[in-house]
Amino acid sequence: MSNDTVRLTQSVKGAGCAAKIAPGILDKALCGLDLPVDPNLLVGLERADDAAVYRVSDDLALVQTVDFFPPMVDDPFSFGQIAAANALSDIYAMGGVPKTAMNIVAFPASTMDISILRTIIEGGLSKMREAGVVLVGGHTVEDSELKYGLSVTGYIHPDRILTKRSLQCSDRLILTKPLGTGIVATAIKAGLADQALTNRVTQAMATLNRDAALIMNDFSVHACTDITGFGFLGHLAEMVVDSGFGVRISASEVPMFPEALEWAAMGLIPAGAYNNRSFRGAFVYFATSVPQRVQDLLFDPQTSGGLLIAVAAGEAERLVAALIAGGIDCAAIVGEVIAKPIDRIVVE
Amino acid sequence: MMKELDCRGMNCPAPVLHVRDTLAKEVSIDIAVLVDNEAARQNVSRFLEHQSYQVQTEPQEGGFRVVGTRGEGAYVPPAASPTQEVIRPGTGKKIMVLVTSGHMGHGDDALGDMLMFNFIKTLKEMGSDLWCVAFVNSGVSFTSKGSEAVPLLQELVENGVQILACGACLAYFHILDKMQVGEVTNMLDIVTGMKRADSVITV
Repeated sequence: MSNDTVRLTQSVKGAGCAAKIAPGILDKALCGLDLPVDPNLLVGLERADDAAVYRVSDDLALVQTVDFFPPMVDDPFSFGQIAAANALSDIYAMGGVPKTAMNIVAFPASTMDISILRTIIEGGLSKMREAGVVLVGGHTVEDSELKYGLSVTGYIHPDRILTKRSLQCSDRLILTKPLGTGIVATAIKAGLADQALTNRVTQAMATLNRDAALIMNDFSVHACTDITGFGFLGHLAEMVVDSGFGVRISASEVPMFPEALEWAAMGLIPAGAYNNRSFRGAFVYFATSVPQRVQDLLFDPQTSGGLLIAVAAGEAERLVAALIAGGIDCAAIVGEVIAKPIDRIVVE
Repeated sequence: MMKELDCRGMNCPAPVLHVRDTLAKEVSIDIAVLVDNEAARQNVSRFLEHQSYQVQTEPQEGGFRVVGTRGEGAYVPPAASPTQEVIRPGTGKKIMVLVTSGHMGHGDDALGDMLMFNFIKTLKEMGSDLWCVAFVNSGVSFTSKGSEAVPLLQELVENGVQILACGACLAYFHILDKMQVGEVTNMLDIVTGMKRADSVITV
C-alpha cells in the first residue's frame, strides 16, 4: 500500500475527538475513585480541567496533558499536525507554555506501510517545532486501528492558572475557531467533502491555539477552556455547572463552517454529538428560533477546536480586535455570563 | 411500495449514505430503515426529513425501524413549490394554548385526565388558527414517552403547529430525556409567545 493512495479515515471506526468515550460513561469509571492527595497538586483529576497542574516551587508549576485519537483526515502529515495541535491546546487553555512532548502511537504495522507512520510523526514534529516544544520520547504499540497523539509537559506560574471554573457575572465569552469539524470529518469519511473545504478545515484544526493564548494574556481573562470532544456546549457546560451563574449564547454569533450546517441537516452527525447532547442537554435551554442543525453543531465534537475565553465585559471588544489583528479571523463574542438561570445555558 | 433497508451493524455515516444511494436509484419510494443505534436512528430521520419525507420511528428488537413515507398529497416538498403553503381552514388568527396540568378542571382527577386527553385530541379542529401549544407544570407529561398524546401532538407538528414543553418542568419531573415531541422551551419563550399570539387559551 503506498503512502499516496491510503485513506486513513477509512481504516478506523471513529474520527478524531468524535472517538472520545461518551462523557456519561467516563464519569461512571472515574466517579468515587480513591485519589492520592498532595498539597502541590493544584489542578487534578477531580476538577476535570484541561490539564493537570503540579507546583514545583512558589513560582513554577508543571502543567501536563495527554491526548490521542484516530485519524479524522486522510492525509498522514495533516493528521500528525492536527493531533499535535490538539494535544498542545490543553496547555495553552490553562495559560501555560508547552516545553516537552512524547509521542503516543497505536499502529497497524501488519496492514499499513510504516512510511505512513513516519509522515504522521513528521507532521506532529512540524507543530512541535512551531510551538517551541522538544520531542523527548514516545511509545508505540501494534493495534488494529491507527491512533496518534502526544503527552505534553509545560510550565506555568502557580498564581496564573486559567481554569474553567472561575466565570464572573457579565463576562463575555469569546470563541476563536469555527465549529463543525466533527460533522465535516464525517463528511470527509463519506467522501462528500471537496478538497478546498478539506484543506480549510484541516488548516483550522492544525492551527495552534498558541497565538490566541498569547494575545489573551494581556487581558482580564477570568476562565478559559478549549473546545474538543464534548463539543461547544459540553465544554461550556463544564464552565457553567456549579459556577453560580448562567450563560446566554447568541447562536447566530457562533462561528461555524457553513457546509457543516448543510450536512447536519442531512444527518451526517457523529454519534459523539448525540452523546454530548444526552449528557449535557438538560443544562441547555434552546429558544425555538434556534434551528435543529445549529443545535447539532453546538454539540458537535470538535477536533483541535478553538479556545473559549471568558473575559471582563469592558475588554471583550478590544480582545476580539486584538485576536483578529493577530490572524485569528473568526474570533467573535458569542455570549455572556448572566445572573440567572443559575448553572444553565440559554441559547438564543 | 415500501423498500426495506437493513443498516444494522453499520457505523456512522454509513446508514445515511446507504439510504441516500438507495433513494438516488429509486425515486419516490417509501422506505423503512433498520438501525441498531440511537445516532443512526436520528441521522437517518434527519436525512429523510431533509428529503421531505414524513418520518416515524418504531422501536424494534435490537434497535429501531425508521419509516419514511412520501404518501400522495401527504406532504408538498418545499423545494418543488417554495411559495405554496398547506392551506387549512381558519381565520388567520394566531391562537396559543397553554396546558398547565395533566388533567382538566378540578373535581375528579381521573375524569380530568380523560378530559384533557380528549381536549388535546380535539385541538386540531381549531385548524390553521392553532399556532402554538405550550405545556407547563405536569402538562409536560403529554410530550413524553408513554403518553398517548405523543402521536396526536406529532400530527399537530406536521401541520405546522409549534409544540413547546417547559424545560424546567421536564427537568423537575425527571423526564427531560423522555420528551418525544416538540421543543424544549423556557419562560421567556412562553411569555414572548403570549405577546405574539392573538389570543391565549389557558387550560
